Amino acid sequence: MSFSSRRFAALAVAALSTIVLAGCGQAVSDTTDVKPADSGFPVVLDNCGTQVTIDEAPKQVVTIKSTSTELLLALGLGDKIVGQAFSDGPVPDEWADEAKSIETLSDKAPSQEVVLAKSPDFVLAGWESNLSADTAGERDLLAKLGVNTYVSPAACKEKKYQPKKLTFDHVFAQVQEVGRIFEASAEADALIAAQKKQLAGVQKAKSGTSALWFSSGSDLPFVGAGIGAPQMVLEELGMENIAADVQDTWTSMSWEKIADANPDVIVLVDATWNSAKKKIDYLRSHPVTAELDAVKNGYFVTVPFPASEAGVRTAPATAEMGLQLSELGLAR
Amino acid sequence: MSLQGARLNLRIDGHPIVTDVQFDVPERSVVALVGPNGAGKSSLLRLISGTQHGGQGDVYFEGVNLLAMHRRERARKVALVEQDAHSEFAMTVRQTVMLGRIPFQSVWAPGASQDETIVDAALETTGAAEFADRTLATLSGGEQQRVQLARALAQEPRLLLLDEPTNHLDIRAQLRTLTLLRRLADNGVTILAALHDLNLAATYCDHVVVVKDGRVRAVGPLDDVLKPDLIREVYGVTAEVMRHPRTGRPVIAFSE
Amino acid sequence: MNGQRKALAWGFALAVLLALSVTITVTIGPAGLGVLDVWRSIVDHLGMGSSDLTRIEDGIVWQLRLPRVLTAAAVGAGLAVSGAIMQALTRNPLADPYLLGLSSGASFGAVLVLILGMDVLLPLAAFVGAMAALIATMLLARSLGIITPTRTILAGLAVSSLAGALTSLVIFWSATGDSYREILSWLLGSLAGANWAAVAISGGTIIAIGVPIIIGGRVLDAFAFGDTSAAALGINVSATRWLLLGGAALLTGAMVSVSGAIGFVGLVLPNAMRLLVGVQHRALLPLSALVGAVFMVWVDTAARTLFSPRELPVGIITVLVGAPIFALLLWRNRSAA
Repeated sequence: MSFSSRRFAALAVAALSTIVLAGCGQAVSDTTDVKPADSGFPVVLDNCGTQVTIDEAPKQVVTIKSTSTELLLALGLGDKIVGQAFSDGPVPDEWADEAKSIETLSDKAPSQEVVLAKSPDFVLAGWESNLSADTAGERDLLAKLGVNTYVSPAACKEKKYQPKKLTFDHVFAQVQEVGRIFEASAEADALIAAQKKQLAGVQKAKSGTSALWFSSGSDLPFVGAGIGAPQMVLEELGMENIAADVQDTWTSMSWEKIADANPDVIVLVDATWNSAKKKIDYLRSHPVTAELDAVKNGYFVTVPFPASEAGVRTAPATAEMGLQLSELGLAR
Repeated sequence: MSLQGARLNLRIDGHPIVTDVQFDVPERSVVALVGPNGAGKSSLLRLISGTQHGGQGDVYFEGVNLLAMHRRERARKVALVEQDAHSEFAMTVRQTVMLGRIPFQSVWAPGASQDETIVDAALETTGAAEFADRTLATLSGGEQQRVQLARALAQEPRLLLLDEPTNHLDIRAQLRTLTLLRRLADNGVTILAALHDLNLAATYCDHVVVVKDGRVRAVGPLDDVLKPDLIREVYGVTAEVMRHPRTGRPVIAFSE
Repeated sequence: MNGQRKALAWGFALAVLLALSVTITVTIGPAGLGVLDVWRSIVDHLGMGSSDLTRIEDGIVWQLRLPRVLTAAAVGAGLAVSGAIMQALTRNPLADPYLLGLSSGASFGAVLVLILGMDVLLPLAAFVGAMAALIATMLLARSLGIITPTRTILAGLAVSSLAGALTSLVIFWSATGDSYREILSWLLGSLAGANWAAVAISGGTIIAIGVPIIIGGRVLDAFAFGDTSAAALGINVSATRWLLLGGAALLTGAMVSVSGAIGFVGLVLPNAMRLLVGVQHRALLPLSALVGAVFMVWVDTAARTLFSPRELPVGIITVLVGAPIFALLLWRNRSAA
């Protein structure tokens, strides 16, 4: 490409990015520091407190956690994945065939050698703990070996980097950022636009509907709290989270408190190791929870576990949950 | 009437500790059990008291076989004072002595006022009454010895077995203890005490049982038994037996 | 007699305190229920009087709070008595109910079923695990020769270490993000799931096993100076030891199966009572039971209300409260230590 053409392409990308960024609004100031896109490569980021410098689009990626794998599949970058690990559940049908051909390195967080054996140049991780000495490796050590690492910003643990309150803008900003890294900004923008459209059409619940986001646990339930993905989804669906005033992503909450709040709807996280059905059976068998309005009426909404962590499945899942609400007669 | 031991044997892990021990000593006297270290004195005392696992033999006393009795009944007749009794818990003197009443108490009738009286008497007799409410840990070795003796006395035993009761005691306390034992014997209690100090034995005891390597070497009146030849054979030292100028009791002087 | 009267006074005071504690703590909780409403609801269930509460509110009182408070009382009593007996049998004031591998074995059983997702079997698995560890400990101690307190403790240590390592292995190998939380909660000890079945197990064990060993445990005084001394006092040493040990182990096993391995109760409370009322087991055992019950009822109430809506596993608070008390006890007894 001649010098001037490259210049033009860079300007075009800059223009496009500026429009999209402007559309994101205020929330972006809360997220990780994203440099304006006119610089192309190297891409320099502050990702959960670690400086990451990417000189060219990665070609051999190891993904850890479903959110990472699915993000790349959604951006059409499945062929760049040399191995995936710590899957939280099956991928949606549209990517099932492609996913089958990706090698599984481990059911849980993989060890350092297993990851390095695939000669990756990039590791895309869902949780910060996936990148430690006894899992895939310390981030600076990997960087020295020429392996860049990236953690989903929604999952940053340090207060400075953890979103004060997760919104879809955070999720989309992450998609954008990864799109930049892989030179797939067009695909990223298209994906974001499509998901925004989906969200715009989400069926919301009737005004004043309260909900419990029941993740796991029996004696002492683990529920979605005020600043993470569960809160984000519930708000999008127009429901009030009974644990909204707890300043955490998820929290434990006693049945007594839940009974006292008597939520109208219970959102059940469906995981392969702890299914929605198991949760329903438990709720129906326990003498106190069996009396909750939501249980008596059968007002259950299900969300698959991989979609319950912030990622590319969250928006479609939200829309799908809206449909469930509508079927239950709870939509506006 | 006497205290008789017959065919007493004990082996531990195949090693013979006590072998074919037999003795016959009169009741109501102070009998010394003497012998070098490792002779088996402690094990023999435990055998006689019925508290030693794996022993064999019989002990006849006041017309009954002690080792064939039920343990609770036996505990009302026989009391054992061990060397170096030690407790991890902060018991008071009075509480310790009260333990001696356990053979007389049952789950349903735990404590009688009679127990109090007997405990008080035991404390008086042993001179432990002055520190009755202190904890054991605050007492000297000698004072603790007195407490253990008081505990045994609270059992109102007919047969009192003591393992080295004069260890850790200064001369005055030693003499005091043995005088007390003499007095008890005069009041009808049979005493068998393991002693390492031959002169103490000679001063206070009427009879003696001499053991070496788990066997009885000699039994009988002390005057007759504790002779220089025997002492040489058992202890491997040279001894002269003399008479105390005032009491007439034997006094033993040692040399290489 | 001074000592006896003191013990009786303590006993009376603690019994009253226990009754009051149960009555009061059942009205405390995150749901805003009025005190009178709570009592009226209970009375209604007992067949006298009536209640205005909704079904859910009633459920909170009768299905959540009341069984939990009662279970806490039973568990506290059981662990305290068991601890006192272990301390007497091993002649060591630092012994606790879990000495013979009981908690490690129970933890292993519990973690296994938690990971396999068979939560319903949890109490059974914990109990079986505890008993298996106990048998292993006694067999190991036996194989070393005549069973002595030291050998028993050492054997218990070996079995505990092994069970602990196996538990860690199982956790590390198979635990998903969710089960880590449940496992941790169980390992620290928690009364969150206490229902009427738990009351039946813990309360039933107190009645069927706890009461007999409290009464029979009076003979433990004889063990103060060792086995020979106890035998000389007419005690059947090995039968007594086995019966009391077995009883304490069953008691502990039942409690652990219901609440996980709650620490410090069995260690600290008997020592505290020893300081207050002396070492005679006639008083020590029943008073330890009472104080254990009162302690646990209040600590569990704190665990479930202090950090609402979060709940702390009660085992965290027993250690937070128990450790300073323990340090204080050590300091006060420094001359004896």
